[in-house]
Amino acid sequence: MISRRSHLTYWMLIAPALFVMVVFYIWPLLNIFLISVNEPATGFDNYIRAAESSAVRTSFVITFRVAVETTLFCVVLGYIVAYGVTHAAPGIRPLMLALVLLPFWVSVLIRSFSWIVLLGRSGVVNDTLKDIGLISSPLRLMHNELGVIIAMVHVMLPFAVLPMLANMRGIDRSYVDAARGLGASEWTAFWQVYVPQTKPGIFSATLLVFVLSLGFFITPALLGGGRVLMISQYITYQIQEFLNWGLGSALSVVLLIATALVLVGAARFVNLKATLLERSK
Amino acid sequence: MHDTSDRALKADLIEIAAHRTKQGILSRRGFLTALGALGILPILDGKALAAKEIVVVNWGGRASEVLQEVLGDTYKAATGIDVVIDGSGPSAGKIRAMVESGAVVWDICDSGAGSAIILTQAGMIEPINYDIVDKSKVLEDAIYSHGVGNYTYSYVLASNPKLLGGNTPKNWVDVWNVKDFPGMRTFRKSVRGMLESATMAQGVAPGDVYEVLGTQDGINAAIDKFRQLRDNIIVWGSGSESQNLFLQEEVAIGNIWSTRAFVLKDDMPEGSFDVTFEGGVIAPGIWVVPKGNPAGADEAMKFIAHGQDPKLQVKWLEMIGSGPISPEAAPLVPEELKKWNPSDPENLAKQIFYNDVWYGANQTAAEELYVDALIN
Repeated sequence: MISRRSHLTYWMLIAPALFVMVVFYIWPLLNIFLISVNEPATGFDNYIRAAESSAVRTSFVITFRVAVETTLFCVVLGYIVAYGVTHAAPGIRPLMLALVLLPFWVSVLIRSFSWIVLLGRSGVVNDTLKDIGLISSPLRLMHNELGVIIAMVHVMLPFAVLPMLANMRGIDRSYVDAARGLGASEWTAFWQVYVPQTKPGIFSATLLVFVLSLGFFITPALLGGGRVLMISQYITYQIQEFLNWGLGSALSVVLLIATALVLVGAARFVNLKATLLERSK
Repeated sequence: MHDTSDRALKADLIEIAAHRTKQGILSRRGFLTALGALGILPILDGKALAAKEIVVVNWGGRASEVLQEVLGDTYKAATGIDVVIDGSGPSAGKIRAMVESGAVVWDICDSGAGSAIILTQAGMIEPINYDIVDKSKVLEDAIYSHGVGNYTYSYVLASNPKLLGGNTPKNWVDVWNVKDFPGMRTFRKSVRGMLESATMAQGVAPGDVYEVLGTQDGINAAIDKFRQLRDNIIVWGSGSESQNLFLQEEVAIGNIWSTRAFVLKDDMPEGSFDVTFEGGVIAPGIWVVPKGNPAGADEAMKFIAHGQDPKLQVKWLEMIGSGPISPEAAPLVPEELKKWNPSDPENLAKQIFYNDVWYGANQTAAEELYVDALIN
């Protein structure tokens, strides 16, 4: 049993973090909500306007579609990478891990600009394909949803790899060995014994990538050609071009609620606490 | 003595202080005390002394350097008065905050007709003294009671003939003809200067554009044109973005600023860039003088009059592509640059003037429809 004294100690330990959260996160968030119902007039006009606007609806659809697509690719590719790193020879593992982590140290802006250099009409990819005679006229690889997805998968991949990697490293090889020993084929042993044990990793990777993708801004702004208008860009547009803080704030609140709903929905199917807090088990 | 104070910072501080005064957080007396504490007040009483310097504010970047060289240095040489160029962006909101707080540090601002109209109605700017400023040296559409044109720029049809098999679109109807002119187009992220082109693409005569756009049907028809073309559209947000889209050959055609086209003509390989002013939309930059400016209204008017010298305006064009506002300047433009001058008589005849009254009434609603047409 925990004594009252140690209770106090625990509270004091989390107090600084709590303070930072309240001052720099909860408080501004409350203000955003207040702006959304107070500008230009008190009431829910901004929310009604947002609900009635077909541009806002489309932007939300685009946002969720791009987030789902990004998550799908990230989890599939990330699973393969995590599996590869976990089962590689011990000597090469640190190098592989470093390669996964390396992109984290390069700013998203620079990574997105690099994709412009690669995917442009006269970019590296198109020029190479033309030189080896595979295509006669350049492919449209960016300034559309394809470009956004390619670059976003690249940016988000580490977020998918790391939780799955942590999960896989905690899995005891002997279960699969036992299944093999009992006569299961390599595929059956993997699919029926290994994969179920990696579910917590898959779930946390999915949630992490999906939620981060919903609020993504830089990459779609640079590679979307203005037509893959995700909701975060729409918010910036309202605030910067039209000084429309009310509508911009209302849309932020809606995005927050939508994200929360996704988490609540996910909680019906998976144990969120286990997924997010005890993923390495 | 040379004043080395950071004006951008001070203007920003004033803006904050003025905002708080308006909210009632800071009393007016507290506001003046705050300014005194910041060391800003001493530079505010320039009015009491004879004008020793004039602060001209524009939007920064290369344009600030050009303004300093073309107008600032020559004014100093002619009058002995220092000209300080401040590139911090004189938005209508900032000018208003400054005048309302009574702490004006700007003498002359590079504004637009839309802002000038709003600021005039709010009583925030000085009337232009047309005894000092010469009306005959300004294009007629750029003369306002409280603001006067300083240069021009246009929304123009630019294209890359190399990507179009040597073909160049001659007008907006061609731009919407994807069959004969395949490839991507770029339009601005805002409706400014864009709806006009979509209206002309329907065969409307340039002179009737704003009349057609005056009805909801006219706006819807223009929006619909963008809906039809959108699979071929990449949107530009800033001037540099539009420039990059052409440089990287991402687009074959675009509706871009003539000032950017002026830069592109030198940066693009020979034969891969062309511009026509056919169906272009020309807009003037507008000088405004904040009410109670430190150097005094007359001093500001004298500076504006100095900038009316056609020779200086031609120099301005040569350096940065801004078109002269003075009709007298056109003949002085070097032959090879005439094609790129928005206010060249030949180009002027092909264009319409940007209608700020229409934008004041319709822009917000139209923007929403425009975004919807592009993404939905």
